[in-house]
Amino acid sequence: MKKIDFTLNGKQTILDVEDNETLLHALREKLDIKSVKEGCSIGECGACTVLIDNEPHYSCLTLASKVSGHDVKTVEFLGDENLLHPLQEAFITYGAVQCGYCTPGMLLAAYSLLLKNEHPTDTDIKEAISGNLCRCTGYIQIVEAIRNAAGLCKCNS
Amino acid sequence: MLPDFASVIPESKEDALAYLSSLKSAKIFAGGTDLLVKMRRGESYSHIVDITRIRDIKVISDHGETINIGALSTHYEISVNQIISEKALSLAQACGWVGSPAIRNMGTIGGNLVNASPAADSLAPLLIHDADVVLESKDGTRRMRLEDFILAPYKTDIQPHEILTFITIKGLPGYREGYKRVTKRAAWAISRLSIAWAIQEKGGFYKDVKLAIGSCTPMPFRPRKVEDSLKDRAKDEKTIQVAVGEIIDEIIKVSGMRPSFVYKIPVVKALLEDILKG
Repeated sequence: MKKIDFTLNGKQTILDVEDNETLLHALREKLDIKSVKEGCSIGECGACTVLIDNEPHYSCLTLASKVSGHDVKTVEFLGDENLLHPLQEAFITYGAVQCGYCTPGMLLAAYSLLLKNEHPTDTDIKEAISGNLCRCTGYIQIVEAIRNAAGLCKCNS
Repeated sequence: MLPDFASVIPESKEDALAYLSSLKSAKIFAGGTDLLVKMRRGESYSHIVDITRIRDIKVISDHGETINIGALSTHYEISVNQIISEKALSLAQACGWVGSPAIRNMGTIGGNLVNASPAADSLAPLLIHDADVVLESKDGTRRMRLEDFILAPYKTDIQPHEILTFITIKGLPGYREGYKRVTKRAAWAISRLSIAWAIQEKGGFYKDVKLAIGSCTPMPFRPRKVEDSLKDRAKDEKTIQVAVGEIIDEIIKVSGMRPSFVYKIPVVKALLEDILKG
């Protein structure tokens, strides 16, 4: 058992975790953050993506004990049903959501990109979401949504 | 869930080495992108030594002719590092192709080498930079050539109580350098074959040529004989044709005629010709 002290979506969080517990498990089962999905469990699909220090990481291959002292963000950081983030609005407008399973991870990968690059090219966008698989949309709508949201949000302010 | 294990998270190299020498079935944990996948498939260890908090093996430093790369440097960190981009561009490029953005943020170069996949993107660039690995244990430090460290695919010379702490490479500033790979899709793919090169030319002559070809032989290999023969040779069509022919012969000599070579050999040939022509 380890006690971890980290920032989760802007809030200091202290939690007891098992030595062999993944961050994915801790977020879903102990902190009730169900937006972080389990897909392949081997770091290939990106459904479990979270941001650690604003960079995408697969929470299925991250031990929870490793995030002590770090900043962790899930899609809840971006917005809620009353006030969606421009990226989330764009995903709705451009039809970038179908089954929704990849969406939280996809939004976080996109958000991380926009923090570093306010005006990404389509190649930058494709590169940024290359570790997040979507089996519904064919990606065209997702790229469009991110491209159009880029002009609308100041992610790093 | 992962199999049961107890973990320790030392803050210093000395503490990590002390744990490793006192624990029986202990496994070093760095990025986790290979180890946790294996554990999900049933590999188990009683103890994990998570070395990711050891700051001094995370640093990349320039020492003139050589560059020290801390084994905990992630693929992302190497891909954007200024020293690496100036003196070992092929390595920066190769690390920028590994896995996906998340894998590059998590996986470390030390872990990549200890895992020793023959398709690891970092291997070919490290070979042309004459990489050494530094292995430390409580009993001391040893240094060996990367080519000797990797014994076979997925098998290295690392001992149970050792940590791979640094990789030392020779910088090649001023060389025309790069890394190319062939994959089944553009991104998030394992290399089917790869080539790293660093070439110095003057007045239409090759001065120094370094090449490493990955995923054609059990270990990425350097055609050293051909490299030597290109020294001070005029850069013309005939020289290039002869050199490429000899490299292909060497590959077939090492690997035998593999089924995949129907595809790979013509591709390697075309890539090498492009690279030598520059």
